[in-house]
Formats: sequence, C-alpha cells, structure tokens
Amino acid sequence: MRYDVCIVGSGAGASGVAHRLVNAGKKVVMLERGGFLKEKDFSKDEIAYCKRDIVTPNLTESYHTIESFRNGKWVKTTTTQTESSFFNGNIVGGSSNFMSGYFHRLKPVDFKLKSTFGAIEGANIVDWCIDYNELEPYYEEVERVIGISGEVTPYRYHEPRSTKNFPYPPLDEHPISKLIDKACEKLKFTPYKTPRAILSKSKKERNNCYYSNYCGSYGCSSGAKGSARASLLQPALKTGNLTIITNAFVKKLNEKDNRVTQAIYIDTQTKKEHKVEAEIFVVASQAVETSRLLLNSKSENFPNGLANNSNQVGKNLLFSAGGIGSGQIDASVMPLKDLMVEGLFVNRSLCDWYEIEGIKGGIVDFLFEHANPISKASKQKWDRGRLIWGEELQNKIFKKFTTTKQLNFEIFNDWLPTDNCFVSVDDNYKDIYGVPVANIRIGSHPHDLKVGRLLAKKAEKVLKEMGAKSVYSSISPYPPANLQAGGCRFGDDPKTSVLNRYCQTHEVSNLFISDGSFMPTGGSVTYTWTIYANSFRVGDYILKYH
Amino acid sequence: MDRRFFILATIGAGTALALLPQNGKTDIDIAPFKVIESVQQTLFPENLKAPSASQFMATNYLLIVSSHSSFVKSDLKFLKYGANLLLEYENNFLTIMPKERDKRLRDFVNSSSKAENWVSLLLYYTLEALLSDPIYGGNKSELGWRWLNHNTGQPRPQKPFAKVV
Repeated sequence: MRYDVCIVGSGAGASGVAHRLVNAGKKVVMLERGGFLKEKDFSKDEIAYCKRDIVTPNLTESYHTIESFRNGKWVKTTTTQTESSFFNGNIVGGSSNFMSGYFHRLKPVDFKLKSTFGAIEGANIVDWCIDYNELEPYYEEVERVIGISGEVTPYRYHEPRSTKNFPYPPLDEHPISKLIDKACEKLKFTPYKTPRAILSKSKKERNNCYYSNYCGSYGCSSGAKGSARASLLQPALKTGNLTIITNAFVKKLNEKDNRVTQAIYIDTQTKKEHKVEAEIFVVASQAVETSRLLLNSKSENFPNGLANNSNQVGKNLLFSAGGIGSGQIDASVMPLKDLMVEGLFVNRSLCDWYEIEGIKGGIVDFLFEHANPISKASKQKWDRGRLIWGEELQNKIFKKFTTTKQLNFEIFNDWLPTDNCFVSVDDNYKDIYGVPVANIRIGSHPHDLKVGRLLAKKAEKVLKEMGAKSVYSSISPYPPANLQAGGCRFGDDPKTSVLNRYCQTHEVSNLFISDGSFMPTGGSVTYTWTIYANSFRVGDYILKYH
Repeated sequence: MDRRFFILATIGAGTALALLPQNGKTDIDIAPFKVIESVQQTLFPENLKAPSASQFMATNYLLIVSSHSSFVKSDLKFLKYGANLLLEYENNFLTIMPKERDKRLRDFVNSSSKAENWVSLLLYYTLEALLSDPIYGGNKSELGWRWLNHNTGQPRPQKPFAKVV
C-alpha cells in the first residue's frame, strides 16, 4: 500500500502532524522503533523503567559515541562504555510517555534572541524566522487537546495569551508549596504555579491524575499525562486512517529526483528489512536520531546525506543548559505528617529572571526528589567520599526515608548553539544492523554556565529562607540526554538552514521534520509544549499545500 | 521472559545458592556467588531494626536479574572478577567470623580502587534487592519497604521487565 504520509517516530513532534492529517482523512503510516505499551501495561516498576534498557534500545544493539573536551582535545567514548544512554523512551508516544509534564511556553523574546541581546562570541545565535504570534494559537490548542492544568498569575515576563486561563484547574499541591510562596514573598520573588501536561479533571477516555507519587520516568496508568500516545495517537487510531508499525527501526530514506520515495526499515524482532512508500515523509525521531537518519541517507544527489548539500544537518544541536540544586527539609521546617504526604505536586516555578540586566536568563522549577527508593537509598552509600556499609549505612538510609525529604530545584537556561555541539556519523561505529550510529559532540558555551549559576544563587536563597538544610547546587556543562533540539534548524536562507519556515527541507520538497530539530535556539524552558505546538502547525501546512 | 529467568524467578524462597541445581547441570558459575553472598551479608548484616541481606534474599535477586538480557554484561563480569580478587586478598574470607569479615572487607576496600569499586557495585545491587518489587526475587515479604515505611507506586508490575501481560 502506498500511504499519503509516512511519519518516522511517534513522539510529540510526530503525533501532532499525524493528528491533523488523519482527522482530515489522510492515510498515514507511522514507524516506531519500539513497542506499544498502553495504560494497562504500565506499572511503577523502578527496575524496568529506571534501571534497565527496557523502553530504550539495549546498548549492545545500538548506542551513541560522545565527544567531550578533555585535556585540550576532543575525546570520543561510546555510551556502551559509559552505560549512559542517549535514547529516550522508544515506544509508541516516545519520551512524552515518561516526561514529568512541566510545560512552559517560549516567550516572545526567545524568537528574537540575537536582535534583542546581540551576538555572543563563539555562539551561532540567530532570530527565528517566525515570531511568537504565529505559534500562539497552537500553544493554546495544546492546552486543550493535550490537556494542561494550571492557573495564570501575573509575573514580569509572562507571555501574551489568547485565552484567560488554562482549560484545566491546577493539580493538588503539597503543603510545602505554601512555604515556598511564603519564602518568595519575603524575598520579593514571584512564585508561579507550574503548568503541567497532566489532567486534573478527566477528558473523554483519559482519567484524571491519581497522584501516584511516581510520575516522571514512568508511563501513566490513568491516561492523565499528556503523552502523545494517550492524547493524540490512541484517538487517531480510531479514525481508521492511522497505521502504526512497531519495532520498526528506519535505517534509510531513499531519494530519487529530489523526492523521498521509500523509508527502509528493519523489523527489530525478525531482523528483516521492509520498505514503505508514501507521497510525503515526515521525520520526528528526536533531534539526535533525526539528524542521524538524514546523514545516513546518502544518494547521488545528496552525497553528504539527505537534504544536506548545505552541510547544515546535525549542526547547532541544542540541549537544555542549567543544573540542579537541593535542600533537606525536616520537622524543623514543617510537621512531619505534612512533609511526608505523598503524591501531591510542588508545582512552583520562578520566572523572574527570564531576562537579567541585558542578558537572557532562564527559569527555576521546584520539585521533590523522586520517590524511587533504590535511587534514594543508593545515594546514601557514600559519606564525604567514603564508602559506608553495615549499621552505619542502615541507620543513614532509615533516617533519610523517615525523617527528611529533599526539595530539589532545576535550572533551565539557553544552551547556546555552537560549532562544538553537533551530530555526525562515523563508519567506524555501527549498530548491530550495520548502520552508523550518531556521534554527538557535546561542547557547551561558557556563557551557559554563567547564567545557570546566577539562577542557582536565586533558587538557593528560597531554600535557605525556608529553613532547608545542606543547601547546594550544581551547574553543569554536560547535557541532559532527554532535552534535545536543533540539528536541522529552520530559516529562510537555504545556505544556513536545513528547513524552511514550515519545517519542509529546502532541498527535498516532500520531506518535513517536525520534532525539536527545527529550533535554531532553544529558549529557557523544556521543549515539549513548543514541539507539540509546532507539530500542529506543520500538519496544517501539509494539509493546506499538499 | 527468557527460559532461564523464568526458572530462577519461580524457584521461590530459601537460601539462594541451595536452590540452584546441585547436579552440575547449570551454566551459572556458583563459586563467585558464594563469595558475593557472604559479602552482601557483611554489607547488610542482621540488625535489630533492619532486615539483613539474607533475609531479603539479596543473592537470590542478583542470580535472577543477572540472568536477564537487560543486565549489564560488564557488571556481571566485574562482580565475578571482584569475588576472585577478594579471595586472592583473603582466602579464608568465607570461613572467618562475621566481625573479622567486616574488618577484612574494609582492609580490602582500602587496598585498591578496583576493590572499592567492586564493593560499591555489589552494595548497589544489594540495595536493588532490598527495595525492588518482590517479583524480581528480592525484598522478600516486602521487608525492605516495610522497614522504611515506604509505599510503593501503584500499579505494581504483574510481570518483570515491563513484559506486556
């Protein structure tokens, strides 16, 4: 069968396009590398979901090479050696199944970073080729369709909205949130109720949140979390217009006369090769794997990889800069019975420093340490660099679990695009299917650390004001593997961008890219809301003009 | 679930090593696990308040999960290697008194970074056994969760390793 559209990937960037097309009657096939787990299949099993490669490829099957700067040179290691995977949630719905659902829109200033703040040496900063107003209706649509809970309250850098408030009221809050508010009031900071892509009220076949206490890193058993699977794909399947092929690793896109003709995939269960034909192809495999697929799809017309005669594919890869911090909360801060309440959300952000004295800042999100007991206990085995065990460790673990909770904060600021952060492929490193794996050079810009540290100092003040003990923060130049964007930036100039403003490749007219790869700069928030919004926008364009 | 994992997972309660086939028809190398069992009991000993490694079936857990395809192969290799390294350092480790074992283990950890890394890794897997779902063969009778007043997340797994039911 020849489909109208073939989509590679099934996460947030893929599913918005699919949602649009199948509801308009187009026949769409989606190729997903992993399996199909639904609400009834998920559990809060720390071993399966957090400690083993079960919902990501086993690192003996596929891996990445990572280039980091050490002792004056770029050193390449494999993730098989480091046991640190850069794959994220390879099942239907992608990594959106496992997100925590912290949802922030970009601000208008994120669309014009260069013209607002100027160039920074060593960074490839550009303005976006669209502005906030073009994306705003889609941000609003995401609130309704994916389902975002929250409450709009004013703060200095709040983005303009076309509706007054969120369609779903805020999720229930832990008593600690009031203490954060109190501390912020004293410090003259403006706390903001973090919007979450988690339903506080049921929506058609999706139930509301049941406050499991195990949200991030786990699939949702009620359907409350706004994963691409629960919110878009399961309804889309009911139209009869969507076919999802699972365990399908796409190794190459074939091209003829500057058009993609076939997607070649390997069934990872049978190891057999298959092909899919369609009029239009959309790639949304998460930034790193999207660039890898294009770079591996070489042909006579495109010897450097598909749509890559500009040599821009894989360049200007983005992560999220920033880091983490924490403080210990005990009975001296609030009654233990209140502190130990489980499942409720902290849901507090600080966005007061989205701009700091002429430079671009970022945001702070507060959250409790994850409830995962193995992770929590295993952090106790070191005491000031000394390995402890026996009664000493047992007492430390008991105290940790029964008398304190760790309040964390996460810093998000721009990961500036540079020449030292990119995706490439190298024939010397291949997966078990013989396909070159993605090499990721992870160089960050020193400016990112400077901004992160400024934000961390502000967040530390809040914890100290609350009375938290052992307050500390760590701002890192290393990337969080789950927050990827860029690599195929969009723009009006085919010499400096891979995609046009509609995320169609400049060189191959029936090829679109709809994950976070299009972003030329990343903003200072997590990407998923923007990826969903842009995916709807790309879907509209495909419907209108193809 | 692969066949060997299934057999191990359904063995049930008891001393882990005693439950393995004794007729030599197993491809599991038992000798290092005898050392591992002894070290785990030293790392998480009997205590009036806390469950011990043998009570929550730490070695049984490790035998089971290390037979699954998702277990990091280099970890298994290193766990076995470290067991031999310890015996080279103290060949009476299995027969000396528990108090002396603890002391010798501390000496061993201070002897090299490899030794320290090995004990650290084994301690990690001991804590996995303490606090993972009992479906994996550790945390017997939810001893770990009950000790720490820990409420596990719901729903709990019906099958190990996210196998779809």
